[in-house]
Amino acid sequence: MTELIGYILSGLVTGAVFALMGSGLTLTYATTGVFNFAHGAVGFVAALLFFELTVGAGWPTWIAGPVAVAVAGPLLGYLLHLTMFRRLSSAGETAQIVATIGLTIALPALGLGAIDLLNGVFGLSLPGVTEGGAARGLGPRPVETWEFAGITLDSDQLIAFTVAALTAAALWALMRRTPLGLRMRAAVDRRTLAELRGVDVDRASAQAWMLGSTLAAVAGVLIVPVVGLDSAAFLVLLFTSATAAVFGRLASIPVTFAAGLALGVLQNLVAGYGDFAQDVTGIRTAVPVLLLFAGLLVLNRSRDRVAGSIAEDPPPPDYLADLPRWRRALPWGVSPAVLLVWMFTIGDTYWIGVVSQGLLFALIFCSFVVVTGIGGMVNLAQAAFATLAALTVGLALSKGLPFGLALVLGIAAAAVAGVVVALPALRLGGKVLTLATLALALLADQVLFQIDGFGNGTLGWQMPAISLGFADTNDPRTRVVLLLALIALVGLLIRNLERSASGRAILAVRSAPSAAQVIGISATRTKITLFVMSAAIAGLGGVLFGVFNGLITTTDLPAATGFVWLAVVVVQGVRRVGGAVLGGMFMVFVPEVLHLFTDSQHVGSILFGLGGIALAMHPDGVLSQAAEQRYRRRREREQRELAQAAAAQDVAPLDLARPSKTEGPSATVREPSPATGEERAPVEALRLEGAVAGYGDTTVLRGVDLVVAPGQVVALLGANGAGKSTTCLAAAGIVPLTTGRVRLDGADVTALPAHRRAGAGVFLAPEGRGVFPGLTVEENLALRLPDAASRAEAYDRLPALADRRTIAAGALSGGEQQMLALAPALVRPPRVLIADEPSLGLAPRVVDQVFELFDELRSGGAALLVVEEKATGVLALADTVAFMRLGRVVWSGARAEVDDDLLTSAYLGALEGAR
Amino acid sequence: MPSFRLRSGMFFKSAAGIGLAALLAACATETASSGGSGSQGVTDKTVKVAGIVTETSAIGYSSAEAELGARARFERANAEGGVHGRTVEFLGAEDDAMTSATGVTAARRLVDKEDVFAVVPVSAPAFGGAEYLDQQKVPWFGWMTNPAWCGLSTAFGFNGCLTPQRGEKIPSWWAAQLGAELGGTDGSVWVQSTDTSSSKIGAEMISRSFEASGFELVGLSSSVPAAAPPQDWLPYVNKVMESDGGGPPDVVVSVMSGTKHNGGFYTALKKAGYKGAITDATSYDPKVMADPQSVAALEGVYAAPQLEPFESDIPEIVQMKADLRKAGGGDLVFSQHMATGYWAADVFLKMLEKTGKDLTRENFLRAADGFSYENPGFGRVAYPQNKTQPTGCGALVRIKGGGFELARHLECFDNVG
Repeated sequence: MTELIGYILSGLVTGAVFALMGSGLTLTYATTGVFNFAHGAVGFVAALLFFELTVGAGWPTWIAGPVAVAVAGPLLGYLLHLTMFRRLSSAGETAQIVATIGLTIALPALGLGAIDLLNGVFGLSLPGVTEGGAARGLGPRPVETWEFAGITLDSDQLIAFTVAALTAAALWALMRRTPLGLRMRAAVDRRTLAELRGVDVDRASAQAWMLGSTLAAVAGVLIVPVVGLDSAAFLVLLFTSATAAVFGRLASIPVTFAAGLALGVLQNLVAGYGDFAQDVTGIRTAVPVLLLFAGLLVLNRSRDRVAGSIAEDPPPPDYLADLPRWRRALPWGVSPAVLLVWMFTIGDTYWIGVVSQGLLFALIFCSFVVVTGIGGMVNLAQAAFATLAALTVGLALSKGLPFGLALVLGIAAAAVAGVVVALPALRLGGKVLTLATLALALLADQVLFQIDGFGNGTLGWQMPAISLGFADTNDPRTRVVLLLALIALVGLLIRNLERSASGRAILAVRSAPSAAQVIGISATRTKITLFVMSAAIAGLGGVLFGVFNGLITTTDLPAATGFVWLAVVVVQGVRRVGGAVLGGMFMVFVPEVLHLFTDSQHVGSILFGLGGIALAMHPDGVLSQAAEQRYRRRREREQRELAQAAAAQDVAPLDLARPSKTEGPSATVREPSPATGEERAPVEALRLEGAVAGYGDTTVLRGVDLVVAPGQVVALLGANGAGKSTTCLAAAGIVPLTTGRVRLDGADVTALPAHRRAGAGVFLAPEGRGVFPGLTVEENLALRLPDAASRAEAYDRLPALADRRTIAAGALSGGEQQMLALAPALVRPPRVLIADEPSLGLAPRVVDQVFELFDELRSGGAALLVVEEKATGVLALADTVAFMRLGRVVWSGARAEVDDDLLTSAYLGALEGAR
Repeated sequence: MPSFRLRSGMFFKSAAGIGLAALLAACATETASSGGSGSQGVTDKTVKVAGIVTETSAIGYSSAEAELGARARFERANAEGGVHGRTVEFLGAEDDAMTSATGVTAARRLVDKEDVFAVVPVSAPAFGGAEYLDQQKVPWFGWMTNPAWCGLSTAFGFNGCLTPQRGEKIPSWWAAQLGAELGGTDGSVWVQSTDTSSSKIGAEMISRSFEASGFELVGLSSSVPAAAPPQDWLPYVNKVMESDGGGPPDVVVSVMSGTKHNGGFYTALKKAGYKGAITDATSYDPKVMADPQSVAALEGVYAAPQLEPFESDIPEIVQMKADLRKAGGGDLVFSQHMATGYWAADVFLKMLEKTGKDLTRENFLRAADGFSYENPGFGRVAYPQNKTQPTGCGALVRIKGGGFELARHLECFDNVG
């Protein structure tokens, strides 16, 4: 019993560290949408700094600790936010994953390289991180131990637990009790709505990264006396805390925290009582990995954008589409020819060997082109596929099978592994899938490859050279020729895949999984096909790796190799075979070039890692960059021309909002801004002038002009797809204008971001419900009404909400939600209230209530823009009515002039003919 | 050379689309010319060598100082006029970064680009270039820590093959030396390793060797995670403390490497009240002494180096220390890696001497057959039998008061099994 309690207690200590790390992971993911694979690396850097400050510079721990945690942590977080995370939040998912994986490689190398540099250039004698240089913790040295009732605890454990508990309490207080925390949680809950309610989401992201890095730094400093300054150990720490975060569904910090604690205990219990697992080497090491995998499968069905039709990772345009075919093929035809000529004339053995190694990597990288470039899935298990195939071939050869058959078996083994990895891919998407592949890769390393009979222990398998009858692969030239042929073959295969029906199916699945399903494309089959193909190519590469090396062992291609591969190939361009070839060459020639300047291995890691970071800027790789720039210039020119054309066409629409002399015969709008009074101060609250806006390359608003005056309700009507909601979003600053202006009380606010427009008095109640479902009623109000007095006023006005102030807004009825969304406006009337379909899905009685509220606001002098698809209800309220059709306001006038005929013609588009 | 024109012509055509068959056929015309005369890196006055070591690694392991050790030995040899009139041109050592692929590249660079005659020293636990060096018939000398290298025709470990394959004889010196130090080999012993197959193999071998020497094996555990030390040692230590009929064993042998694992394990053992002997193979490392926590953890531990320790006062060690100081500066802190580099170079020089004036790789490898050499600094070595067996020599160093104390001089014992 004492033993069990001992395991639980000391498990809780390590669990607390997992919990801190996991909380940081969850916090940053939930706030910014970027899953930071480099979270462990951040902890490593903080621990390294702590080590250098204490052991190197001799600082006392009570200074070094706070400096490493409270100064370096937030600083690092902020720097990372500025340099990459900010850009990443709007980048495609692949770029997000790869960039943080690049950071995982680069950050520790940067830290270690910096120490080398300080020692080498500035003559300092900071201690290097050698195995012997054990790092100390925050506690005293030597460690003191105490015994209570047969359970021993030491000072390091006690300090770790205390600090973790205090940090957790501080984190809880910050998130639950401060406006900063409220803003962050609002941004987590509904990012766009948070912007509309005045939260500067970019700032909230920066704060989240600072906070997340600080948590990683605390965890790093606490755990370093136990695991040492070993970046690999911190990667293990990341997996364990990622497991905790996954159990918290990457959203709930309290659950993540609890899961972290539980993992610490569980790990101890397995180590203490899991003797049954002794026979399977590695299975106990792999406990966190197994749990991570299980957690991913059970808890994290991808619920993102199930109904969305926007591609998560839209393929870039083919920038070279206008070039003739021969011109596009030219570089890839000429360069092998030049290579071959060089090789058989003046090439020396060493450089030919380097090229052959590069081509081998290129072949392996082709597997990324299939799964990531075409399939849009990031797979970190490629190194495991390669090793698996090579070991299988080795095993088969040792049993006396002929090479051909062994090769087939090896590739088949990799393909089967591909299916196994693809199975989770069927249910998971994006980073969750990536985590799953990583878990499987680690499982292979830690368990499968540890089976003595499979990997032949540490000896590995001998791999004889492939004989082609007249030449064998001991000659690097044979390898180059063989590899060129294979890459060409794989290239053809990939091209055919892209152009075939299955290629289109793949693209469909990638862009819009649900839509693809609806039209009968099997996402399952498509994803499996891709994984199998990719695994087979990686397997072939692995076999050749072993053959060229003469030997394959279980440790030749560890899982972490896959990180570097991915970073390199994605930077060069993962969508085409050309990028893979370039990546392969990059992989071998960069170390060669670096070797001329420096002996430091860190420089290479930094460079490969920073390449991944560069992705934040250029998500489609080096290869397409130049072409992309040309394309952009062309686009900009087109955009300008389009805008000019629109402006030329829309001389009239400026008058449109005023009494429409050009339109209705009897149109005299009750318009507070008199047509003749331009010199008077404008009595208009909101004005859109020639607003052109849209999403990506799709233009939705084609020159909208609209005026809303104080104390007036403008009803914006129109059929589905006319651009009403986009008008609202453009007015509120969520959708930026391409051309045109937005004025608020006469002042140009076109350049102001949404949160500042909210501050200036624009209040948009968006389509659906404008509440944060995850926050309580009280918190929803507090975001807009920070002082308790005004919240009390809101409860006075809406007693129904007062009873439910501690309930999550998501649990309210539709009507209550709508009331909650509008409540802040009641207490602090905005200058302009924009309501997008406020009556949608509400009972008539509630709709009346909402409209009464609008009426009250109007009386108070607010300007209201109310969008409705159905005209009936809002007409009773409106002073002015504007019709939208195909991105323009086609008619506007006083409500009195609106009759059934006008409505009908407006909806049917007849008004356009009238113009 | 008319054949060149023929070849390039063919390749232009093939690039234009002739295809795979033409490529391979053309390639076949070239394969005959590979291979060298076997005297690369050798002139009348010099012989060129360079080493491969693990300078940096993700886990913090570094054997970089082996380079200094080899340099110190070569500098003395050169000062004494070289071997058969040839001085050693030592290019330094490449870093394999503990990555197999980097090791292959390094080996290829030294052989194909730098044209070295031999690779000395090799001290890299994950060296991937072994097969390549063997294929190219390039001799290499170093610390044979990986069973895969044992038995390769061109690989020479200065203290033999450290990890013999199953069925081969195993060393007995560790148990014998420890028994002599403790005053008898009748105690109980617990062997602890990590959860990987290589660590398991090592632990099994050590267990058998201790049993063969008379110790009673009360436990063999390979449960500690290898990737990173456990964040909590309690469950592992509890098992040790109850292994000998409910009490602790007399001896704990750790086959785990590095202070991160061992330091944590020993600290936890002591915290649990363990008072018996602790021994491992890797704690003879002055860097460990930089950290007071490690010093406390390692206090009283017997480290078992396979070399005569620096603390010894035999003439060979005095000479080595003088050589190292000359090459590395007066305030040098000696480490085991320096000694491995030094003795690897020493054995290489001895073999150069035996080969004679006519130095080619072929002659050199011929001289290696039937080579035997004794030196109190590392014991004795004879090839070919030490290509598959360890030399069976080792010493004991006790860690005391933040320093090392010579417990048992290097001694060689017959292998058993």
